[in-house]
Amino acid sequence: MTDIQAIATPTGSVPAELVDFVVHEARLADENRYAEWESLWADDGIYWIPTGDHKDPQTQVSFVFDNRHRIGSRIAQLLSGRRHSQTPPSKMRRQLTNFEVLSDEGGEVELAANFSLFEHRYTTTVWAGRYLYRLRHTADGLSLVKKTVLLINNESAIKTIAFIL
Amino acid sequence: MTIRLEQDRLAADAVDYEELIQRDRVHGSLYTDADIFQKEMRDIYESQWVFVAHESEIPEAGDYVRRRIGGQPLIVARGKDLKVRVMLNRCTHRGNMLCQSDAGNATLFRCSFHGWTFSNDGRLQGVSFRGGYEQSLGELRSELGLAEAAQVGTYGGFIFANLTGDAGDLEDYLGNAKDAIDRLVRMSPAGGIDLSAGWMKHDNNANWKVVNEVQVDGYHPLFVHESLYKAIKPAKVDYSSDELRVAVRDLGGGHSEVDYTAEYQAQDREFIWFSGIPRSRVPNYIEAMEALHGPEKTHDILVEGPPHTFIWPNLFLAEMQVMYIEPLSVEQTIQYTAPIKLLGAEEMSARIIRQTEGAMGPAGFLIADDAEMGERNQVGLHAQEPEWVLFARGFDTEKIEPRGITSYDRTSETSQRGMWQHYRTLMTETSND
Ligand code: FES
Ligand SMILES: [Fe+2]
Repeated sequence: MTDIQAIATPTGSVPAELVDFVVHEARLADENRYAEWESLWADDGIYWIPTGDHKDPQTQVSFVFDNRHRIGSRIAQLLSGRRHSQTPPSKMRRQLTNFEVLSDEGGEVELAANFSLFEHRYTTTVWAGRYLYRLRHTADGLSLVKKTVLLINNESAIKTIAFIL
Repeated sequence: MTIRLEQDRLAADAVDYEELIQRDRVHGSLYTDADIFQKEMRDIYESQWVFVAHESEIPEAGDYVRRRIGGQPLIVARGKDLKVRVMLNRCTHRGNMLCQSDAGNATLFRCSFHGWTFSNDGRLQGVSFRGGYEQSLGELRSELGLAEAAQVGTYGGFIFANLTGDAGDLEDYLGNAKDAIDRLVRMSPAGGIDLSAGWMKHDNNANWKVVNEVQVDGYHPLFVHESLYKAIKPAKVDYSSDELRVAVRDLGGGHSEVDYTAEYQAQDREFIWFSGIPRSRVPNYIEAMEALHGPEKTHDILVEGPPHTFIWPNLFLAEMQVMYIEPLSVEQTIQYTAPIKLLGAEEMSARIIRQTEGAMGPAGFLIADDAEMGERNQVGLHAQEPEWVLFARGFDTEKIEPRGITSYDRTSETSQRGMWQHYRTLMTETSND
């Protein structure tokens, strides 16, 4: 995992293109625009929500460790109209701050941001943590290669996360 | 120090459980009444056998994990004598929580409040500024060790504890559920399982009995899991078929199971329980199993697969996962899920971890929807009419088999009736004292 101490770029100089991309990704997730959200992913995409901050997903269980195929399954289930745990869907708004570029080489950028997410479904739940993104420059613009969600409470029992976190 | 059962009379001792739990229905208040919950903690969780941990979580001397039973914080630790002890996580001086980490290795626990130290077998070692007491240090030590569960036992690596009194022999308590643990362990060519991949922890706003009931419910999948079967992949067996040979079984003692054995045997295909993978994906596993059992028995084991068995009151052998629950309040339950690594079958481990994340836990394609049902159930049960919850399906399909009361109608509520009849016995025994 990326060493989160290694700050490569001060927030003010993070390229606007990168920030725009993840803010857009956040909006699609907030608004349950599943198909559009799915289209952001690269073919080798990994969507990861570990059960702790420094766990090896090959030997330790995660809350989510979706390869691109499983991201597709997750979206297909949400689109089926019978995903009870998102019927009705959560209403959400998330804030992204404290952007940092952690690395930039070979056409791929690692970007980090803090987030807070207000999710309402029956009651309002606050989710918070850090997003780590790996973004790839392609001929068609940026694509999402990896999104890691480090929840501050990932060692504890968490509520259902059937929405896109 | 031994733990004393809170003998004070509880408000819920006066309830007539024989009236509230009938053959074919139970009263809704059993899921929503906080006084009844308090009595459940005393009469079920604190004075009967419950699952606390697995030996693979604490393999070495000094290893420990923190757990809770009935709201009481525990340390489950392996001493330097390699014995497993279940101790209350409370300093015997003024009650501070002694151990702060979820898991670790320690020879000593030092209380952060005034510095007393306890060895990992619970004995009081050091008292800071020891001169301040009338007793000698030796006397303090003999009186003030950590409180320990009255009974601790293991079967197939599963550690069970009874906090207070005498709950009888562990194997008697396990009864017909013992075979389910055997069935799981025999999946490993090395004769053991390992839960070191860790637990997913899922917070459910539902009564613990609601969470248990759905684990062995063959009636709900077509409805609750429709989105998975239609959008992603069909169920491993055809739940809509009348020909399906899936049994639901009350094993006695509150234990129950959904038994796919007859259906799998009829299909005679290996790994139906594991996405139908071909043998070529796990050659070393096959070789080790055949070396141990020979080809024929290996085939049978790979056809029959692991158990789908609920062990009263908090453990669920969910095929390639182990789950357990922790009741926090009458309306809140934590559900824990760990992938099973089969010792000697390491080439399956990563796949089992991925299967666990796909199906189970807070984001799982299956369990997120089961949890949603549990939470809606809890809301519905707050309506006062009708008063009863029905468990009347399938009486006339039941027959007595050696393993227990069995129905080959998988929608029969045989498993839930088994849980409730045992509950009724436990809740009645102490009411009339
Ligand atoms: S409470 Fe532990 S040393 Fe005082
Ligand atoms: Fe289910």
